[in-house]
Amino acid sequence: MARTRRARRPRLTIGLLVLASITIITLDYRGDAHGAIASLKDSASDAFSPVQHGVDDVTRPIGGFIAGAFNGGELEQENEKLRNEIGRLQRQTLSEQASQNALKALDALNHLTWTPGIPTVAAQVIDLNPSNFAATVELDVGTANGVAPGMPVVGGAGLVGHVSSASSSTCDVLLITDAGPDSPVGVRFGPGSTDVALTQGEGIGKPLTVTDIPPGTSLHKGEILTTSGLQDAAYPALIPVAEITGFSSTPSATEESVTAVPLADLSQLEYVDVLQWPVS
Amino acid sequence: MTTADVARSTIVMFVVLAVQNTLLDGVRVAGAHPDAMLLLPMAAGYVSGPDRGAGFGFAAGLLADLFLPTTFGLSALVGCLVGYGTGLATRGLVRSSWWLPLIAAAGATAVGLSMYAILGAVLGEPGVLRTDLVPALVVATPAAVVLATPVVRMVAWAMPPVASGRGANVGAGSR
Repeated sequence: MARTRRARRPRLTIGLLVLASITIITLDYRGDAHGAIASLKDSASDAFSPVQHGVDDVTRPIGGFIAGAFNGGELEQENEKLRNEIGRLQRQTLSEQASQNALKALDALNHLTWTPGIPTVAAQVIDLNPSNFAATVELDVGTANGVAPGMPVVGGAGLVGHVSSASSSTCDVLLITDAGPDSPVGVRFGPGSTDVALTQGEGIGKPLTVTDIPPGTSLHKGEILTTSGLQDAAYPALIPVAEITGFSSTPSATEESVTAVPLADLSQLEYVDVLQWPVS
Repeated sequence: MTTADVARSTIVMFVVLAVQNTLLDGVRVAGAHPDAMLLLPMAAGYVSGPDRGAGFGFAAGLLADLFLPTTFGLSALVGCLVGYGTGLATRGLVRSSWWLPLIAAAGATAVGLSMYAILGAVLGEPGVLRTDLVPALVVATPAAVVLATPVVRMVAWAMPPVASGRGANVGAGSR
């Protein structure tokens, strides 16, 4: 009898734990306890932040050394900052080119907003892709620095993604390469084009697919896609996003099959800027 | 479980979490990285059996969920199932084989990641199955073999196997 009770106990335990897990998942998924869970995650993130910074300070130079760089950690960091600065200038140039094209069609575009002049918060990436199942990075800035969920993040020569959650000292950024439903970006292509398309992430390190492009649209390899900035868009207009690397179409296709590579090197992110863009 | 077991288990979870978030997250191949947090329930099930493995896996999963952008509770569900499953699968096996925890780690990681991806797809993110699972399996499964021994040793220190005749995995080869 006692033996039977012992044999049943693991089943009871696993049953209760599975039930508890499913309850927690349901509460988070439905949004019923989203506030409580978000604040719990934020508190944990804030509490863990000093450990992460400390270990990061120690391991970053070691990582650089292992990578074969004989430069010191400071020099490596300086290089990263300069790389980010170059990226910022490239972004500015591409954005200006796009804006010149857009000016020609400005009369027809009531909803166009202007990218330059948006205040930014400089940030350092402290964790890349904490999950194997979501393309995200963690930054060392949070609500205390003026960062809020929904704000666009740029780095290198283009768009990186948007802030998905923020604690007081850190924030998570969902990258444009994430394969989930929250990563698509509304983009324009072609000089002065009024055509709008959507980018869709295909996972970490993979190129984007571009959807909603009608067959027969004039496309060129190397063409730069910029954010559309349409009303209620998640991003302001004219941020360079990706470069078209390939396209094809079949006679019966309802849209062009287009792939594009993000302009920002999302696998080597070190420093980025958070745009303090109004979030609707 | 005694209070000392709980204290040691908490220490082990936080140490592995710190290693995961500060070091292993940066070891990326094809966008994927090793997953030491998934080894904790495997090690607990291997060392202490399905009952304690499930409890340890649930707690370790909840802790991991605090730092992941995915749905809260997913890792806890996967963790308790992996702990329980490993405990059941390895119960009664001879623990003197050095390779047994390595095989268990690879199997548990592959099963755990697949469950995670399937649950993610069920919760509205089909891209997880379509694009993320294969790189995760290719990278995290071999890495689990490398990380298995230290993780099993730490968990064996935290949760000493209970005495024979009480449904335990006595003489875990890791000790």
